[in-house]
Amino acid sequence: MTPLHGVPDLRGPDHEVPADSLEGTGLGEAQRPPGPAAIATSGLSKRYRKVSALTDCTVTVPEGRITALIGPNGAGKTTLLHLLAGLALPTAGEMTVNGATPRQDPAFLADIGFLAQEIPLYRRMSAADHIRVGAHLNPRWDGASVQERLTSLNIPLDRAVGKLSGGQRAQVALALTLAKQPRLLLLDEPVAALDPLARRNFLGVLAGAVAANGLTVVMSSHLVADMERVCDHLIMLSSSRVQLCGDIEDLLAEHQILVGPRKEITAIQKSHSVIQVTRTPRQLTLLVRGNGPVADPAFQASDVSLEELVLAYLGQDAPPALTALTTEGDDQ
Amino acid sequence: MTWLVWRQHRAQFYLGAALLAAFAVVIAITGVQVADQYHAAEAACAAGQGCRHLGGLFLGSHAVGFLVISTLGAPVLVGLFLGAPLLAAEYETGTTQFAWMQSVTRKHWLAVKVSWMLLAAAVWGGVISILVTWWSGPDNAQQLDAFKPGRFDLMGAVPVAYALFAMALGIAAGALLRRVLPAIAVTLAGFIAARAVITLLLRPHYMSAVTVLYKVTGAGYTPAGSYWQIAQGVIGPNGQTLPQPNGVDYLDGIPLAYLPGSCAAPARGAATVPASCSQALAHFRGFLTYQPADRYWTFQGIETGIFLVLAAALIALTAFVVLRRDA
Repeated sequence: MTPLHGVPDLRGPDHEVPADSLEGTGLGEAQRPPGPAAIATSGLSKRYRKVSALTDCTVTVPEGRITALIGPNGAGKTTLLHLLAGLALPTAGEMTVNGATPRQDPAFLADIGFLAQEIPLYRRMSAADHIRVGAHLNPRWDGASVQERLTSLNIPLDRAVGKLSGGQRAQVALALTLAKQPRLLLLDEPVAALDPLARRNFLGVLAGAVAANGLTVVMSSHLVADMERVCDHLIMLSSSRVQLCGDIEDLLAEHQILVGPRKEITAIQKSHSVIQVTRTPRQLTLLVRGNGPVADPAFQASDVSLEELVLAYLGQDAPPALTALTTEGDDQ
Repeated sequence: MTWLVWRQHRAQFYLGAALLAAFAVVIAITGVQVADQYHAAEAACAAGQGCRHLGGLFLGSHAVGFLVISTLGAPVLVGLFLGAPLLAAEYETGTTQFAWMQSVTRKHWLAVKVSWMLLAAAVWGGVISILVTWWSGPDNAQQLDAFKPGRFDLMGAVPVAYALFAMALGIAAGALLRRVLPAIAVTLAGFIAARAVITLLLRPHYMSAVTVLYKVTGAGYTPAGSYWQIAQGVIGPNGQTLPQPNGVDYLDGIPLAYLPGSCAAPARGAATVPASCSQALAHFRGFLTYQPADRYWTFQGIETGIFLVLAAALIALTAFVVLRRDA
């Protein structure tokens, strides 16, 4: 509803101190020429009766990226994916997916691969049946690739999928989603129900497919560790709002951890926005946005990991006894 | 899409086809026997060897007669076992999210599924109706009850409309409730309620019934053909409808309380009716309210139309719910 919201270029050249915006992608895109956006949303909101599932969501995902959609349970990850896939209609806001507004149209649907959290398949049908269904319902369909992939994973093609293990079902569903040859792949908590080995196999197959076809992927998870290895882009949601959006390398470079004695931090706040303050009896640990040097020599800077970054922005997920939080931008 | 519908429902198709085939075999064999019996009895009647035993003609096929009557419940079966799970099972297992993310719009998906189901319902209701109508030919000719509730509902066009309505009701219940068992329960209750309300409250009034008055002392009145009797009774001198006689104290359908004491003797079987009693009886009129036999197809058409309109409304509701609601 507010089309200018979250577009940093229109806010003046104060990128070093983005005091009121934590969701801009300006810094990242300045360093790397952005491809055409596979996904661009503006002020996207979704309300279910009185509950706000997604509020004022403005994000951009360039083509060819593997995006981790991170956030605690109930943050709005599934809602965002449903909106992007055209499975739900937004209450407010606009979005462009593969250059079009999500809608009930065969051409739009053909370019989207969506794998729901519950891994829905017809339990009494075999994988081979699903391959035939897909062949009937899609203009592009690579059924042979499904057979090949499942055979190489020793998953029987002729057994009812209801009798397969959870990991095997997830592999069948992923193979079917890929057989559609979508330009954009949306995966909702694809590995949440899988054991560690199946999880690794799944992500391995996914990474291979992405490398081979150059498609754009957005996959949600509440676990950072799973996503860190395969993703290069991040959207972080918390309490229905976007907390972070951008290239992971750029986001990590934009932030740093400062460790120093317990003292006033007003000097640092002049040049950096402080995301999180952790106090122990003897020292102070700050996670700050802004990669410029710190004037105060008492503080030592170090790199931040993705997990630290995500936890800092989630705030409440850090151990409360040791933290005093200043999660700026939370209420924009 | 059609292939998906076929793959999902082929087991039900085979089962339904087998049931229809078995029913057709039973009906064909016994129907020929019944027709032979009827023609033989008719010939005997024409030859003057007595027509009275025609009424007991079907004593030998009670089981089949029961089977035929039980097709009253056949239309709702498609609603329960095909209609209710059609969407509810997909919502329940989440496969809507698989189907809707193929390159097929939700509208197309729904239209193809619903169309095939409606066709299946029409075929189911139609085949059963054709068989039952054919089998009941001699029975109708003999009993003249084709227009009566319970027989009217088995034959002609209405079974097709009932089956389409049951299917639409099941589909709509499944779309609204998104759970299979509640949808089945609602379909069963809704079908029975709709059929009962329309049969008992609406059907007698599709056209104004004909009422005939006759002398209570005469031979009464019997309309031609398979008419449908709505009401019969006696109207008193003041125009009031008398209560139905119960017990033994009545004469010509009139309770003795409405008649002078001189009528007590004939009521108990005395042959002569005193003049005072005859005079009193002359003030009463018997009446018969009925729908004439030649309105049978008009009524079939009206009832078929009502259930088709209900079915169409339920399908429209289904489309509204499925297409508007978020996945």
